[in-house]
Amino acid sequence: MPGFFVLLRIVLQGIKPDMLRGRLTESGKRGLVLISPPFAYALLLLAVPLATILLFSFWTQDYLTIDTTFTFSNYTEAFGDPLYMALLRRSLLIAGAVTVVTVLLAFPIAYFVSFHVQPSRKSLWLFLITIPFWTSYLIRVFLWKVILGYNGVLNSSLIGVGLIDEPLSFILYNANAVVITLAHAFAPFAILPIFVALEKIDRSLLEASLDLGETRVTTFLRVTLPLAMPGVVAAVLIVFIPTIGDYVTPRLVGGPDGLMIANMIQTQFLKLNNAPMGATLAILAMLSVTAVSLVFIWLNRRWLRGPK
Amino acid sequence: MTLIQLSGVNKHFGDYHALRDIDLEIQQGEFFSLLGPSGCGKTTLLRTIAGFEDVGSGSIRIDGRDMKGVGPNLRPTNMVFQSYAIFPHLSVAENVGFGLRRADMTRDEKTRAVGEALEMVGLGGYGGRAANALSGGQRQRVALARALILKPKVLLLDEPLSALDKKIREQMQVELIKLQREVGITFILVTHDQEEALVMSDRIAVMFDGGIGQMDDPETLYRRPRSKRVAQFIGMMNFLDGEVAATGTEIEVTVQGLGRCSVAAEQAPGAVAPGPVSIGIRPETLSLLFEGETTTRKEVAAVVDEVVYYGDMTYYDVRVDGIEKPLTLSMKNLIGRPVLDVGTQTRVAWDERSLVLLGH
Amino acid sequence: MRGLRIYAIAYLVFLYAPIFLLPLFAFNDADIIAFPLSGFTTHWFEELTRNAALQAAVRNSLIIAASTAVLSTILGICAARAATMADWPLKRPMMGLIMLPLVLPEIIVAVSLLVVIVQVFGLGLSNATIIAAHTLICMPFSIAVLNGAFQNLDPALEEAALDLGESRWSAFRLVILPLVMPGIISSLLISFTISLDEFIIAFFLSGANPTMPVYIWGLLRFPGQLPVVMAMGTILVALSIILLTIAELMRRRGLKRAGLKDTGGFL
Ligand SMILES: Nc1ncnc2c1ncn2[C@@H]1O[C@H](COP(=O)(O)OP(=O)(O)OP(=O)(O)O)[C@@H](O)[C@H]1O
Ligand SMILES: [Mg+2]
Repeated sequence: MPGFFVLLRIVLQGIKPDMLRGRLTESGKRGLVLISPPFAYALLLLAVPLATILLFSFWTQDYLTIDTTFTFSNYTEAFGDPLYMALLRRSLLIAGAVTVVTVLLAFPIAYFVSFHVQPSRKSLWLFLITIPFWTSYLIRVFLWKVILGYNGVLNSSLIGVGLIDEPLSFILYNANAVVITLAHAFAPFAILPIFVALEKIDRSLLEASLDLGETRVTTFLRVTLPLAMPGVVAAVLIVFIPTIGDYVTPRLVGGPDGLMIANMIQTQFLKLNNAPMGATLAILAMLSVTAVSLVFIWLNRRWLRGPK
Repeated sequence: MTLIQLSGVNKHFGDYHALRDIDLEIQQGEFFSLLGPSGCGKTTLLRTIAGFEDVGSGSIRIDGRDMKGVGPNLRPTNMVFQSYAIFPHLSVAENVGFGLRRADMTRDEKTRAVGEALEMVGLGGYGGRAANALSGGQRQRVALARALILKPKVLLLDEPLSALDKKIREQMQVELIKLQREVGITFILVTHDQEEALVMSDRIAVMFDGGIGQMDDPETLYRRPRSKRVAQFIGMMNFLDGEVAATGTEIEVTVQGLGRCSVAAEQAPGAVAPGPVSIGIRPETLSLLFEGETTTRKEVAAVVDEVVYYGDMTYYDVRVDGIEKPLTLSMKNLIGRPVLDVGTQTRVAWDERSLVLLGH
Repeated sequence: MRGLRIYAIAYLVFLYAPIFLLPLFAFNDADIIAFPLSGFTTHWFEELTRNAALQAAVRNSLIIAASTAVLSTILGICAARAATMADWPLKRPMMGLIMLPLVLPEIIVAVSLLVVIVQVFGLGLSNATIIAAHTLICMPFSIAVLNGAFQNLDPALEEAALDLGESRWSAFRLVILPLVMPGIISSLLISFTISLDEFIIAFFLSGANPTMPVYIWGLLRFPGQLPVVMAMGTILVALSIILLTIAELMRRRGLKRAGLKDTGGFL
């Protein structure tokens, strides 16, 4: 939950000295009144529940009742159980792979639309890119199963064309299938932020670079890419974070080797009826996502001169 | 009759002191301008009169009524916004008639009023147009008609001409003055263009850093600025150092490079005391003496240092012994008058009646 | 440049591949979802009309989606309007919390609400619980859409209306509302679409009456039912595309009305 740390930072930045002295402008007062309903809603249905699962993770399930003694035993159990750790590790790896694949595939599209499509056609392209995203998620995932299956669309057409003799079996019921399917599901999430960053680049900067003796390729590397980095970072986070929470795709196309931590959280809550353990795994999943995201942001800031 | 009266108005934005002790009286029917550099608080002052900003301390009275707690929709003021704020989803006529919604008038009367208002600003027949399809000058006229149709006691204009190009701006200046005479409504105009303020206003308040530096009619403001800051802001002025020897109905003063002279008390509009003083001379009150010309005024030897030719005028910078900075003066290019070259030895005529002693 | 264009088209094929298959199987006269196709039929669509359980699920989903759309748009209007106002203490953290669901894995929202509703308050799960959760995750999208609409408004427009004698409320009704109306319609449509399609949270929080995606999830385990699911999916895709096209047209009209240049999509 990198959101949490972002929140913490903006809490600290959001307080300006004269506000504390109670000097609120008329417009500020109206803003405060207007924000109260949505804020109260988010507080009640998001902040409170998040705090609750944090609390639950320190309790334990005692058959049908919850033992509310504060304990780290869920955490010790989670860290001690190779299954949980394997699922967590695999989830992070798959999410990482999905992110890399999605962003790498998305960048050229965003670049193409931003730099090589006429301005009047740009919103049509964006519209075309976003449409598949809005169509039934479950059915889309299921159809990937149909496409990638042993007798699926891909294999039958490849055999039909004569490219292969035997159906390919490494594309369904494993992590590869999960990566392909999720790369499809998150495509617009990766394309749009990169596109926005590319759109913001002042085209005269590129001309300046060419004028100063760079080639098109070095201009791309020295000007375009660094300026597009904020978009890439946003794309990475937007794809990476929710991927951890998906249990549909692993269940439908992942096979036993493609299951992820979200499947285990779901099992703990709905099948094993062990809410505290489920909560613990959810917290661990959030913490590891946050940690990875923060490391990524830090590395980016350090080495790629990304956004502050 | 005093229509608007501000006393001791102060306004803070956080720690920023945006208006400082503003005292102001504006007469019924007056064309009043607020002039000052960017960020000096002109818009803020206008918005406190309109009721968009509440004042920290002090009071605003309009037509004898205290405006404290009276919202902008209930004040007898209307505003022409800098962006014009033409409602983009309404037609020109709907924009102009917007404020009549609550008026006790029949539909026909409203239509007629809108037609007249459009006529008045020279947009007769434009009522059916979409507001988006107007040029800058036309939008400005719609904004004017929309505000004037409500017959406010005061019309507030926030840099209404700054978005227009030079030609249309000058034309609109003339039209605005005519319009104001015609309707007899008090206008308060915000501008940072000193020429615009001088041309249009009955009276001008020059503002600096949230306070009023000087408030006078255009001629007094130009001829008798009270401080160096006001003098610098309005028109061009040469500044010389001097020393006041004695004050009274006549002030005895020694001027750097020009010598001792005595000037009338009214030439020192700001308070002066014996001691060092700053003295201003406008470029057009100095003149070059060409070959063979004589003068009844005082004269001093000078050397041409810089020549800038403007067509109708020529501006010269001349060096005079005893003055470090060259003096700037302007000469009309009359028939037979040559334009002098840099380095020419010449004489400059000056008059002690054109000196202004500036307070600090 | 040529290469890029070819790549872009290949990418679109990748994006559209599953959607393209959907109607093929929906009209395919075979019990299994596989090639080769074996003939045209509308049988699966007729089957749809006979499946009472599925219809109940659809009705349920429509109720949930409509309620979510209205709620999240109303809350979104408040938040987007507030965002255009001057600062107040904790403005950014408040906005941050409201927008947080955008970057939160959905399963986290689902389990945390489940725990609070069932274990803490001991309430039952129902359509209301799903509406509550869907409103939470749709609100950021509504705000994102509406923000564009509100931020593009010249603040002087409201002041001009006040100056011409209107009250705050009538200024909102006469000036602001008509100008942001296209944004409101987009927001309604987008929240409706998200809610209609949402599965991860609905699966955790649905009570006795499943939503349509939850029902479909159940069907996916029975191969015999799959062609019906394809038929259902085809209708849904057609519906989504229509709704989104309207939303997009609305957005463009809004921009045009405000006299602005188009700068991109919804997100
Ligand atoms: N709502 C506000 N919050 C904080 N500071 C403000 C606000 N409005 C104005 N200010 C500050 O008050 C000062 C005066 O602003 P104002 O708009 O009155 O200047 P102005 O004289 O109209 O300048 P300009 O010629 O640039 O329009 C400026 O420094 C401005 O930054
Ligand atoms: Mg201003």
